[in-house]
Amino acid sequence: MNNNIEEIVKEAILQIKTADLKTVENIKIKYLGKNGALTQILKSLSNFSAKDRKNIGSKANSAKSVIENEIESRKETLRKTLLEEKMQKEKLDYSSDFYFPFSKGSFHPIMQTIQDICSIFKSLGFSVAQGYEIETQWYNFEALNIPKNHPARDVQDTFYLEGTEELLRTHTSPGQIHVMESQKPPVRVIVPGRVYRNEASDATHFSTFHQIEGLAVDEDITFVDLKAVLSDFIHKFFGYGIDISFRPSHFQFTEPSAEVDVQCVFCNGKGCRVCKNSGWIELLGCGIVHPNVLKAVNYDSEKYTGYAFGLGVERITMFKYGIDDIRLFYENDLRFLKQF
Amino acid sequence: MKVSYNLLKSFVSFDLGPKELASTLTSIGIETSVVSNACNWTNIVTAKILDIQKHPEADKLFLCKVSDGAKEYSIVCGAKNISVGQIVPLAKSGALLPDNFQIKKSKIRGIESEGMLCSKRELGLDDESEGIYILDDKTKLGVTLENVLDDVDSVLEIEITTNRGDVLSYLGLAREIGAKLKKIVTCPKIKTSNVSGLNCVQIKSNLCVRYIGGIISGIKVGESPKWIKDVLEKSGIRAINNIVDITNYVMLELGQPLHAFDLKKLSSKNVVVRAANESEKIIALDGKEYELSSDMLVIAEDQPIAIAGVMGGQYSGIGKGTETLFLESAIFDSVSVRKTSKKLNLASDSSYRFERGVSWDIAEVAFWRAVNLISDIAGGKIEAKEDLQNIKYEKTTIVLRVERVFKVLGYKISKDEIIEILRYLDMDLQSKGEVILCTVPSWRNDIKEEVDIIEEIVRIKGYDTIPLQKKQGVYLSTSSDSFIGKTVEDFRVKLNGLGFSEALNCSFCEIKELKKFGLKYSYKIANPVSKENEVLRPSLICGLYKNLVLNISQGVESVTLFEHGKIFNELGERKTFALIAYARVWQEWWKWEEQKISPKYDFYFGGGIIKNILPQDFMITQNLTPKEYYHVGKTASVVHKGKVVGQFGILSPYITEGIKDEVFYCEIDLSSLEKDQNFEVTQYKTFSKLPLVKRDISVIADKTLPFVKIEKVIKNIMKLGGILKDYSLFSVYTDEAKIGEGKIGYSFRLSYKDENKTLTDTEVNNDMNSLLQKLDLQLQVKLR
Repeated sequence: MNNNIEEIVKEAILQIKTADLKTVENIKIKYLGKNGALTQILKSLSNFSAKDRKNIGSKANSAKSVIENEIESRKETLRKTLLEEKMQKEKLDYSSDFYFPFSKGSFHPIMQTIQDICSIFKSLGFSVAQGYEIETQWYNFEALNIPKNHPARDVQDTFYLEGTEELLRTHTSPGQIHVMESQKPPVRVIVPGRVYRNEASDATHFSTFHQIEGLAVDEDITFVDLKAVLSDFIHKFFGYGIDISFRPSHFQFTEPSAEVDVQCVFCNGKGCRVCKNSGWIELLGCGIVHPNVLKAVNYDSEKYTGYAFGLGVERITMFKYGIDDIRLFYENDLRFLKQF
Repeated sequence: MKVSYNLLKSFVSFDLGPKELASTLTSIGIETSVVSNACNWTNIVTAKILDIQKHPEADKLFLCKVSDGAKEYSIVCGAKNISVGQIVPLAKSGALLPDNFQIKKSKIRGIESEGMLCSKRELGLDDESEGIYILDDKTKLGVTLENVLDDVDSVLEIEITTNRGDVLSYLGLAREIGAKLKKIVTCPKIKTSNVSGLNCVQIKSNLCVRYIGGIISGIKVGESPKWIKDVLEKSGIRAINNIVDITNYVMLELGQPLHAFDLKKLSSKNVVVRAANESEKIIALDGKEYELSSDMLVIAEDQPIAIAGVMGGQYSGIGKGTETLFLESAIFDSVSVRKTSKKLNLASDSSYRFERGVSWDIAEVAFWRAVNLISDIAGGKIEAKEDLQNIKYEKTTIVLRVERVFKVLGYKISKDEIIEILRYLDMDLQSKGEVILCTVPSWRNDIKEEVDIIEEIVRIKGYDTIPLQKKQGVYLSTSSDSFIGKTVEDFRVKLNGLGFSEALNCSFCEIKELKKFGLKYSYKIANPVSKENEVLRPSLICGLYKNLVLNISQGVESVTLFEHGKIFNELGERKTFALIAYARVWQEWWKWEEQKISPKYDFYFGGGIIKNILPQDFMITQNLTPKEYYHVGKTASVVHKGKVVGQFGILSPYITEGIKDEVFYCEIDLSSLEKDQNFEVTQYKTFSKLPLVKRDISVIADKTLPFVKIEKVIKNIMKLGGILKDYSLFSVYTDEAKIGEGKIGYSFRLSYKDENKTLTDTEVNNDMNSLLQKLDLQLQVKLR
């Protein structure tokens, strides 16, 4: 009987291996069905001695599960093959025009730059504050150590509002004053925003543009810190390989003042049209906060020192993306906007 | 200002080539570039000829071995004047000669030449020249050519910051170079004499600080010597005659503007420095007539003879027949000169310097320098002189604390070094312990307080010496983004995903434009440069609509833009968010052929977008006071915490006439949101695993009944916590022929569920009937 069971298993496996989905069901009936070969054996167990019964029973049962497994795995293989064929038939062209109902959205390059810069400064421990676009002469000039009669206050460069003494801020620096008026040191803040200059527009000038102002004031802030923070920022923004140079400059609200140049990103410092063959691009202005500015907000200018910096967002963005006309930013032609 | 590189060398000695000098000056805050340069070369160095052989293939050519001290080169050369041992200019491979002629390694008659020996003509140093340029045999090898040639000059362009008028001269620049390189500056020698006795000048305004006048007789007006003309030419000043040229030369040399009047043309010999009379006129040296006003300063007899500090009058100018002249060296108020120059739209080399401030001491030096030169060149003799000191000059003395230098700069500079730097800046110093008393030279009127001295120290020491040293320690914690900031960010990201592009428009618009949108401006610009900048935008619509029109005209079929920025209305400066959407929502696609659907932005679709991007505590309600630019029938309000914060809708056909499809617009006043609130945090609710039972009902309502009222009845029932869990509107029926005039049909899908058991039909039917009863009772909305 034992041999018989082995024979049955051998025979069944042989048949299963070549069966298709239909015949595999027949095989199942033939061996495992009500009158199937193995079922017959199990049914006839009572005819054997107790010892044989146990032996044959267990053999038959394991033979049953062997065949069952074979059948299931055959079925699985067949199903897979079938689906495989189906999928082959359904094959689509991967190189075709993929589709999304909405066109690709885009963020304005100016806003992207502002966000990028803000997030770098946030990681350096700066908060982001907002200023006002309509300002008084005090915030825009006097508090920043720009006295009456200073050339920077010429009517020609500033938009004044009719019927008031107010004006449109010409830089984000008044933001420094608002921040310092609202809190005691330590201060560590950047102020991004829109500023205005009353000048005819051309490829590099527009009446409306953006700046980001930075300010840190504490008991132990020095020129060394300013250099470290700005170098860190520039490396994070433009990449670690870029050369940076600080050179003396003049701003009313900082003393000492510096202009920061970076290696021209277009020619890697070799000299080209963009950098006027100098190999350098002017990036931002900065310096140690002038004591008069601290005095204007009633900070103790003996105890506290600080640094400030301001950078033009349009300028940086134009360098970053190789844009040659500032007016493109404000036309909002979708063929321009969708590139970003 | 343009200056000659060579002349600069006669004021202070230095070993820097033009380019190196320019970068040294730039490094101390005086932006300098080399503009014209005979030495416009790269890669040309001095080299010695070691050997000369005949070229095997050509009779007229030679093979030379030359050395730049580091390397030997073989060069093919055709010149006859060369011999072994000479030092010559070698253009190495890659060198650039004037006219952009590039030297490359090349084979000449079969023999490779690694460069070229140059003639003066090839170097652009001369128009004609024969043979190779033979340099002095003591010339160092391997030095770039521009650094060894004295007889060629370069012109440097100097750009100063507004506070540094003192460097607008050769002397001023030399002082800066001297301070940086620690060299002594040589000032031209001045011969003074003890004349006085001129009593013809009267100062009647505090805008004149000092006035030195002198009479020089016996002069002969003629052409200037070449050396003066050359200097003027390099600075872009036209030579006129020896007298005028000398005044200009001294101005370039020392920074003090001078003016010479023809004494014969002065009628009274009484000169007054006074405020101009209103509407007084003068014809200036440029031949144009200027109308003056009382805030301007003039030099006058009865009539003005010069606009103080700006330009002299034509009538009293020096001409061929001038024999005696009246020379002026004065100090005028810088603000007054600037304002006058701006107002008259008349700028001169003189006004440029006065605006930036001149020196008390130099005014006198320059006077004598001019007197000396006139006497040397034009043969004049000083007869009389007077020096009116209207406002006494006091020297500035500043207390510098050595420890403060460290506190501001953050790195140590020794006291000795500080003293050395300041000495070379011509300061008088008095050291008292840890304090240095600094007396500032009269030309440095920009130095007013301690911190200015600190800047001088680090400026001359060099910003590149500041160590790059990150501060160790704790940064302050930063504030988190505001509610408004987060809301805007949310809008931007969501709209980006929906295919919108972010726009930025300028903050101005024209009054004419506003009328179209029925808008009024609240802020007018007092001094706009052009009409475009007439008023501040009271809404974002002007810009976005302009963008829409531009894009349509460029053939873009669907336009979706958003912008956030400030607007300026009767409430002041407001943070605002807006979006505009036009035409086809979905992109064109080849598969649309089979699917045939492509909705356009209409009131409902646009509204859907608004609903989708708004945080959940915003609501949409009826628009009771729609802006004039909306279609009155297709608009709604956005409400936050009971306050109307925005409106949206289809733009009025009055505006969009001529545009094919409807334009959807939405504007939200972010400033009206409370600043410091928190986002509402959604609380998790358990949900039943049991299935929903869905029922559809159709009802008929009056068209005038706002849909939101029907919704409210349904929502109220849901709020009671019964088995009605959700609803959706799936159809709106407007065929009045079928449902009655003035009626509208809505079909809802209602979802029922009991959290604990499976619902029976009866239970659902009962609940639905009670809803229908309420709709009928409260709103006369009936089952269809």
